[in-house]
Amino acid sequence: MKHTKTSVLLLLTAFFLSVLFSSCALRETKFTAYSLDYFDTATTITGYAEDRAAFDSISNDILSVLGEYHRLYTIYHHYDDMENLCTVNTLENGVHRTVPVDRRITDMLLYAKDMYALTDGRMNIAMGSVLSIWHDYRTAGLDEPSAAALPSMEELSRAALHTNIDDLVIDEEAGTVFLADPDMTLDVGAIAKGYAVEMAAQMLEERGISGYVINVGGNVRTVGSKPDGSPWLAGIENPNPTDDAPYVGYLHLTGESIVTSGTYQRYYMVDGKSYHHIIDADTLFPAEGYLSISIVCKNSALGDALSTALFCMTPEDGLALVERLADVEALWILADESRQYSSGFAAYLTEP
Amino acid sequence: MQYCSNHSGRKYRHDLLFIGGLLLIIAAASLALFLFRVPGDTVTVTVDGQVWGEFSLSENRTVEITGADGYNLLVIANGQAYVSEASCPDGICSSHRPISHDGESIICLPNRVVISVQRQDDRQPDIIS
Repeated sequence: MKHTKTSVLLLLTAFFLSVLFSSCALRETKFTAYSLDYFDTATTITGYAEDRAAFDSISNDILSVLGEYHRLYTIYHHYDDMENLCTVNTLENGVHRTVPVDRRITDMLLYAKDMYALTDGRMNIAMGSVLSIWHDYRTAGLDEPSAAALPSMEELSRAALHTNIDDLVIDEEAGTVFLADPDMTLDVGAIAKGYAVEMAAQMLEERGISGYVINVGGNVRTVGSKPDGSPWLAGIENPNPTDDAPYVGYLHLTGESIVTSGTYQRYYMVDGKSYHHIIDADTLFPAEGYLSISIVCKNSALGDALSTALFCMTPEDGLALVERLADVEALWILADESRQYSSGFAAYLTEP
Repeated sequence: MQYCSNHSGRKYRHDLLFIGGLLLIIAAASLALFLFRVPGDTVTVTVDGQVWGEFSLSENRTVEITGADGYNLLVIANGQAYVSEASCPDGICSSHRPISHDGESIICLPNRVVISVQRQDDRQPDIIS
């Protein structure tokens, strides 16, 4: 009898201990943080941590890195305590100043120049004069939909005369930036957030942290795998919102970046037709031909630049460029919703 | 049972120990269940980073969210959440498809509103691009 009771006690103890231990094994819980403060879009940070406080400490570090890059790269705000790209864009007595800037600005601008060369000018940060016209028309059209209008070709062509990347003069030694053409401005919208996300991700990697995902407006960078070693499951948003399927595909990612550019992300309507934010340097109008393009690669800055550049290239030229690059894969969703995949894309595809 | 009719002091002590042990285990288990409890499926609304409201995903309702620059009409119906109408100019929130899975969100930048779903054991994407 004594034995029976002892064994009942032992069994019960063993059972509850195993429940407790299995809970402990799962003690890294998934947390999410949102911010709407950076790069004019939504930031989502997902990560596994022992508790909310541990997660918040890391996500706040990520947000403060993103915040610093945002302040350096914004072309819409001046800050009294720093020189940023807004300063670089500003005219003084009719000319641009040679502006001493933070190393993080020159590094990014040099990278953007490399991207210009790589994409044969399809990703051009010197297109600020053209993009600002579209930006103003879009903002006005969203504020007052009944008065939404398109910029004139004349206005756009005049601005397009001042988009020569060689007029962006970077002095690495002196740490200065100068725009030689007074009518030229920079717009780093196609690369800044990808670059900032990459820098924040590398900060985590240098600290030996994994199990995090940084997502700034669809510009996603995974840091390591999940704590149990399994890959992240990424859904590629269906660019057609009326379609029943929320995602066009699922990918397994471990430390890679995925960046999607889509016509649905930023647009305005004029006479019932939508005009999105990716402007083709040749036509000076929104690039036609695609609903969305997704890039999978290690470096989120490269993914950001390529996703914009490929929008302004034919499917054939885009495919040729992607196949030439090591460890870069892409998915094109064409205007008729047909798809084109690069040769290695399938290796990432999975089912949920 | 033999020990019930035979109340020797030793047996009685064993019974007490047995019952005490059981109670201890139950207390520990309850504590464990409380600590690791599984919350229900929730829709969380934040405005400007502050939690504005939390709603069950399983109860149908319509909520008018007071955002930073206007309103968003949140509808929870049949286990899904969506924005049926909003005052913002771009309409990105109201054209967003309904959300129902863990980690999915609808975000209205002009009103600084984030609507997100928290669900347990939900094998949906961790990331959306």
